[in-house]
Amino acid sequence: MTGYVLRRLLQLLPVLLLASIGIWAMIFAVPGGPVGMILGENATPDQVAAMTAQLGLDRPVVVQYWSWLTSALAGDLGVSIHSRQTVLSLIAERLPATIQLGLASIAVGLLIGVPVAVISALSPGSWLDRTLSGWSALALGVPTFWLGILLILLFAVYLQWLPSASGYVPIWQSPLDMLRNVVLPALTLGVYVSGIFARFLRASLVAELRADYVRTARSKGLAERDVVGRHVLRNALLPFVTIVGLMLANFIGGTVVTEAVFTYPGLGRLLVQAISTRDYPLIQGCILVILVIYVFVSVMVDVVYAYIDPRIEYS
Amino acid sequence: MSGAATRALGMAKRLFRNKGALAGFAFIATVTLLAAFAGFLPFDPLAQNIVESLEGPSAAHWFGTDELGRDIMVRVVYGARTSLLTAAGAVAIAAAIGIPMGLVAGFFGGWRDAVLMRLVDVLLALPGILFAMALIAVIGRSQMAALVAVGVHGIPGFARITRAQVLSLRKRDFVTAVEALGASSTYSMFRTVLPNSWSPILVQVVVLSSVAILLEAALAFLGVGIPPPTPSWGEMLRTGKSYLYEAPYYAVLPGLVLTLTILSLDTIGRALSVVLEDRQMIGGDTKLERVP
Amino acid sequence: MSDPILSVRALEVTFAGTGVSVPAVRGVDFDVWPNEVLGIVGESGSGKSVTALALSGLLPPNARVGGSIRLGSVDVTTAAPEALRQMRGRDVGMVFQDPTTSLNPVLPIGRQVIEGQVAHGTVTAQNARARAVELLREVDIPDPAGRVNQFPHQFSGGMRQRAVIAMAMSGRPQLIIADEPTTALDVTVQAQVLSVLARRQAESGAAVILITHDLGVIAEMAHRVAVMYAGRIVESGKVGDIFKRPSHPYTMALLKSLPRIDAGGERLVPIPGTPATPAELQGGCPFRPRCAIANGRARCAEAEPALRAVGDSQFSACHFAEELAPGAPPRAGDDDAGAPAIVTALQAPPKAAEDGDLLAVDDLHVHFPIRAGMLRRRVGWVRAVNGVSLSVRAGETLGLVGESGCGKTTTGRTIMGLIPPSGGRITFAGQDITNLTRSDMRRVRRHMQYVFQDPYASLNPIKTAGDIVAEPLRIHGIYDEMGGAARIGALFEMVGLSRQHLNRYPREFSGGQKQRIGIARALALQPRLLILDEPVAALDVSIQAQIINLLQDLQRELGLAYLFIAHDLSVVRHISDRVAVMYLGRIVEEAGKTALFETPNHPYTQSLLSAVPVPDPDVRSKRRRIVLQGEIPNPARPPSGCTFHPRCFRATDLCSAEAPAFEMRPGLATRSACHHAGPLAAAAPAETAGASA
Repeated sequence: MTGYVLRRLLQLLPVLLLASIGIWAMIFAVPGGPVGMILGENATPDQVAAMTAQLGLDRPVVVQYWSWLTSALAGDLGVSIHSRQTVLSLIAERLPATIQLGLASIAVGLLIGVPVAVISALSPGSWLDRTLSGWSALALGVPTFWLGILLILLFAVYLQWLPSASGYVPIWQSPLDMLRNVVLPALTLGVYVSGIFARFLRASLVAELRADYVRTARSKGLAERDVVGRHVLRNALLPFVTIVGLMLANFIGGTVVTEAVFTYPGLGRLLVQAISTRDYPLIQGCILVILVIYVFVSVMVDVVYAYIDPRIEYS
Repeated sequence: MSGAATRALGMAKRLFRNKGALAGFAFIATVTLLAAFAGFLPFDPLAQNIVESLEGPSAAHWFGTDELGRDIMVRVVYGARTSLLTAAGAVAIAAAIGIPMGLVAGFFGGWRDAVLMRLVDVLLALPGILFAMALIAVIGRSQMAALVAVGVHGIPGFARITRAQVLSLRKRDFVTAVEALGASSTYSMFRTVLPNSWSPILVQVVVLSSVAILLEAALAFLGVGIPPPTPSWGEMLRTGKSYLYEAPYYAVLPGLVLTLTILSLDTIGRALSVVLEDRQMIGGDTKLERVP
Repeated sequence: MSDPILSVRALEVTFAGTGVSVPAVRGVDFDVWPNEVLGIVGESGSGKSVTALALSGLLPPNARVGGSIRLGSVDVTTAAPEALRQMRGRDVGMVFQDPTTSLNPVLPIGRQVIEGQVAHGTVTAQNARARAVELLREVDIPDPAGRVNQFPHQFSGGMRQRAVIAMAMSGRPQLIIADEPTTALDVTVQAQVLSVLARRQAESGAAVILITHDLGVIAEMAHRVAVMYAGRIVESGKVGDIFKRPSHPYTMALLKSLPRIDAGGERLVPIPGTPATPAELQGGCPFRPRCAIANGRARCAEAEPALRAVGDSQFSACHFAEELAPGAPPRAGDDDAGAPAIVTALQAPPKAAEDGDLLAVDDLHVHFPIRAGMLRRRVGWVRAVNGVSLSVRAGETLGLVGESGCGKTTTGRTIMGLIPPSGGRITFAGQDITNLTRSDMRRVRRHMQYVFQDPYASLNPIKTAGDIVAEPLRIHGIYDEMGGAARIGALFEMVGLSRQHLNRYPREFSGGQKQRIGIARALALQPRLLILDEPVAALDVSIQAQIINLLQDLQRELGLAYLFIAHDLSVVRHISDRVAVMYLGRIVEEAGKTALFETPNHPYTQSLLSAVPVPDPDVRSKRRRIVLQGEIPNPARPPSGCTFHPRCFRATDLCSAEAPAFEMRPGLATRSACHHAGPLAAAAPAETAGASA
């Protein structure tokens, strides 16, 4: 088991390495390079030379990358140009908000998506199925930022039940306040993932319902409830676990747009701010952290899948 | 190639038997035509009229006016032009790079496959929007930047779908058959495998078009997309959001057009994949007569 | 006699499609009595599997069922869903075709075997495991207590199907419906499964409905037979009568079109055309267009004949059943759609047989690496082909026969240059072609061509039939040189297709026609050797004979040599001059076909031959059958010494220590690889004891 996890992590090493090179090299692609970025366009050649030496840019490229990587691995992601705080502290401050929103959104998605999929798969082609499939199409097609605006209009502007801008309240501080703040963004993202969940789960349920073993199960006199509950769902939920996990991994960094709609203080907004202020150390740090989390969560998903599917052996 | 033309016609007929796909196609066609001929209409998307700012929908301004008194509907039509052009360019970039990548990786396998697919993994290691943002952070904000960012994001999709299709075709007997006949790799790849791969690629073109439009709008909404004053749907939503109390229509109506565009492409894409899969099923790929 | 367990009257099944409804079963009557095996036999589209599903109420929702099905106390066509559920698993058990897909991959076998009875309340949850173990033991699963918690992927194919039989028997039902229970299995495994099924049937006294396309299995297993065609029973009766005195021209033609493992090589009499499907019937007798005795008689076209008594217990649905006097050969359509009369004019005349072999394979090895881990390190080899030597002379047919996984297809593809060999030598027409460059191999390929098993998969779906046949000429740049369109048309006629079909796409052809296209493509370059990889395995019985006859005609006219790869021993015996038997990557025995089939000396050949069901019920009592234990081992971990020794009834210590050489042995007419090679009779007593467990 441990060996399997390690092997999966090792397999991702080349991807992480390549991506980290990309992130590190980003700064050199910026017009003016790292020096111009700090000194501005009107620097004298002497100033440039001094800064180049100060930043260690006169060292060989490999050495530069290596020192960047080792300090990043040690947690030193540099200092934000804009706020002068360390990049790590800025990220650490925002990460819990993003994770809370991501989990809440997945929960909403499951609450809507799973029943929709099961109901429509059990009567394929019926009006109910067509209606629910229409829901999935709508959930996937409506851009989250527009849906968010509509929800703000309804619940904040007209009904005035909820705030139009959402802050971060940890659930252990005040569950009710947390709910007031998170419900609109979580609903926005939840509707979207419910479309993904419903469409995927319905397709795999329909495929499993056609499988031969379903006929076998019926032929031994199992009630339809047990045929679906014990046989079909079990098979269909296996690949579904992967999808849920991947969406979770995505939401660590992918709530950017929703955070912008609700001015929610998450990692995504930090990144947007960093880009608009051209705060490159912060940009690099955010992307690196999001990448590492994403990769790590995808490995965990694989591990969970291998654990629950009897056909996969770890060795 | 009249055979191919007949097949395409038959496919189109089956496609438009699906009413949703027909409606979606009609909507996309209308938007495209309006965007293409917008320059011939006597409206200026940049014409300001502060006196008439933030006025609700009326006979003169069907979608109302924005904070500078510009006609929102005219700007939506010009925004369609931005949106569709960016999407078309992005799909072209993604297809031009992704399809050959997938073809080579799937057909030759081995180290070529390993290298190309690791590249794809790297592109996929970040959610699309973050990747695009990172790219724009480096190369600066411009229409070309948005186009390239969205296009690069689409490469893995094409590469993977092409590769999967090529891999499944390579195992099929009719591909082995031309090899047994003495065909070269080039013949087998371009004359046998590729012509049988278009169905999923075509579906991917439609799917990616909708993703590209959405992504372009999202970038503009975040303020990192195509810079103003070029009209763009995402930018209009971004500004409109500041006037939710005074002028709710400002954000709602452009968003509605954006949503309908995406829904239309999505519907066409799904109907297309059903029609194409159906065609392959009639081709009787896997069914054996062995089981009478 | 007691009352029947099952009474089916006027059963009709129609599938409602979009706008059209397609009939599948059109008026079927039959009864099944306790303790009997009723065989239902038919080709694709005959409605036999739909009948099976209708009996247990398992048809899909778009099926409309008419008539009555009385099973014990339940009328299946009118019963409420809950009554049907109660009936399933208690009164009727089912065995389906493919045990790989009919078991749930993510649930333990034991639980699947017993859960029906737990649901019915006949077994308590506490006793479930013990009962499951007992059931698995009854179907000869080794170590049932240890295996009861295993998953389907940990079982071999034969074990899975025996587990399904255990499942079907778990509620001690009066009736078992087995739908093609052995079609997906190899012949030695089929023998195991059939013997378990027969034994459990006798022990339990249940009735069995055995549905199959294989007349051999019917003759081996059934007491009574019903023959289905186009959604109806066209003949029924006792198994002996049906095979000896068929009273319907279809049954008779089917028997005549079948290659027999116990007979010589007289030309097969194919049934012309393709099996009718109920969807496209136009009134009258559905068999009329293919019938040998209809002769365009008005009555056949006017009225569909009803099933009527033609003997004590025999029924036939033919207006002219009486004309089928016993023994009289049917004047079946001799044409397999156009004998190749024009062939000689077009094809270069066959060269006189050269001295020596056209194809010689010497000690061929094909090993595939098994890779694992993230560095894709090689952790072992699959020895798919492990020292094969064979030869094919000009104009002759070598049959290469073996069960799945024995390496026969890999051998064929390696000879064709589609897979690189790991060792050994391949010589074609005196030239070493083992490691030719691409362009040199290209030239060789003009003389050596390949025909694939699955005619659906081997034709490019987006090219027309004409373009597919022309493709080899275009690839070699000799389309015009070889006569262009005229040549393609001639090839079409040579294989019995009409020139009018040149512009059709593969999907518009039937399976047999597609295989003709595949053959025409292989002939386009005027090859001297065809490697035929299971060319008839995917075809209906009545179509098989057409293709076999076509292949024999072409061989005679064009002087072709065939390497005929197949698992079906009857077909191999019919078409081959010499036969080689493969087991686990090696040839274990080789000889002229008469010697090999009459006096086999290798125990594997002997078991294989004895396992093939013969379509003659008289043979079943006379023949002694060797049922091999176990299944083919994993070629990545072959047993030591002689790879057959773990399953062999003659194995000694020598066999596990040392691999036998493949050679002629004194006093024996076959070349074999066995330390104890010899005819079967000599060691008979010990063999039956050791082998029929």
